[in-house]
Amino acid sequence: MSFTSLSESHLDALKEISNIGMGHAATALSQLIGETVYLRVPRVTVTDIAQVPELLGGAEKVVAGITLQVLGDARGNILLIFPRDSAQRLLSRLLHSREKGLLFNELGASTVKEVGNILASAYLNAMGSLLHMTLIPSVPLLACDMAGAVVDYVLIELSQAGDMALMVETEFHGSDPDQELIRGHFFLLPDPASLDLILEAVGGRG
Amino acid sequence: MNRRINVSISEYRLAEPPAVLVTYGLGSCLAIALHDPQLRIGGLAHTLLPSARQMPAVNRPAKFVDEAVRRMREELLARGAQGQRLTAKIFGGANMFQPLLGASENGIGARNVRSARDVLDALGIPLLAADVGGSFGRTVEFDPVSGLVRVRAVRGREGEMTF
Repeated sequence: MSFTSLSESHLDALKEISNIGMGHAATALSQLIGETVYLRVPRVTVTDIAQVPELLGGAEKVVAGITLQVLGDARGNILLIFPRDSAQRLLSRLLHSREKGLLFNELGASTVKEVGNILASAYLNAMGSLLHMTLIPSVPLLACDMAGAVVDYVLIELSQAGDMALMVETEFHGSDPDQELIRGHFFLLPDPASLDLILEAVGGRG
Repeated sequence: MNRRINVSISEYRLAEPPAVLVTYGLGSCLAIALHDPQLRIGGLAHTLLPSARQMPAVNRPAKFVDEAVRRMREELLARGAQGQRLTAKIFGGANMFQPLLGASENGIGARNVRSARDVLDALGIPLLAADVGGSFGRTVEFDPVSGLVRVRAVRGREGEMTF
């Protein structure tokens, strides 16, 4: 099935799967940072690949981006995007440090990747058990740079199959009123070939 | 103020003075600028993949390095540019996530760069500058009046350089 021929109920199904996956990921994040994590209603966007950087806030905006491949019964990519200041706050919180430039040292970079790993694993576990699929995240990769540059590797992969991308997006943010908010965006970009498998698995459950 | 023409992913655009061509946030993608210095027109492409060969149905040829260069050249010639005056500059082709994706010479960025060198060579277009590789993003602004390209980076090499 092509991304453009999805029906309303397919889109709803994707939102629902993502909501459940993200619920688990938010619980994990909330335990990590010790505050409630709120989720926005997921958004499913079918878009031209060329528009993806705009949807991430602009190709030139500096972000911390973690990408993981989804391996197993269905394939795709997960993107976890934090605005630079949010990534810095997340690290200050986790590493109990006020140091600047945490993102660029080894400890900081590896901490952010681990956060990506934990969120992606929680998400994929929940999604996998719902769909009766084995879904495994790859080793996370991190780049802190212009959003366009961070994601074009994923877009290049998608562009080998077509010109459209399907993105399931959930925005989340922390809650501590005394501290500045941590926000981020979680994206699932299924491969076109795996979309059928995912939708079939949802449909099979009636 | 010059008119800025935004070149998005998988496309190329041509420009005549006073417009300038801009493309934002190149990682492994490759930007190719072609220029006719006498006519002062140029084109800028933002490509994703090395080659259209061995690809099934191609409905957006400008996403390939080789096709984008060929088509951009044809369009420039159609506008009066001379084949033997054309020059090229290339930018991007980085490897954003260095260690894990294996040797960087086999990465998609490096393959895009090789493909560009090959097709430019085959068409006899001299490559005047190449700011490629590394593990950082680039934003590129091409002025067809001077033929100069300004490259902006925020990581790895901060600030702006002109090629």
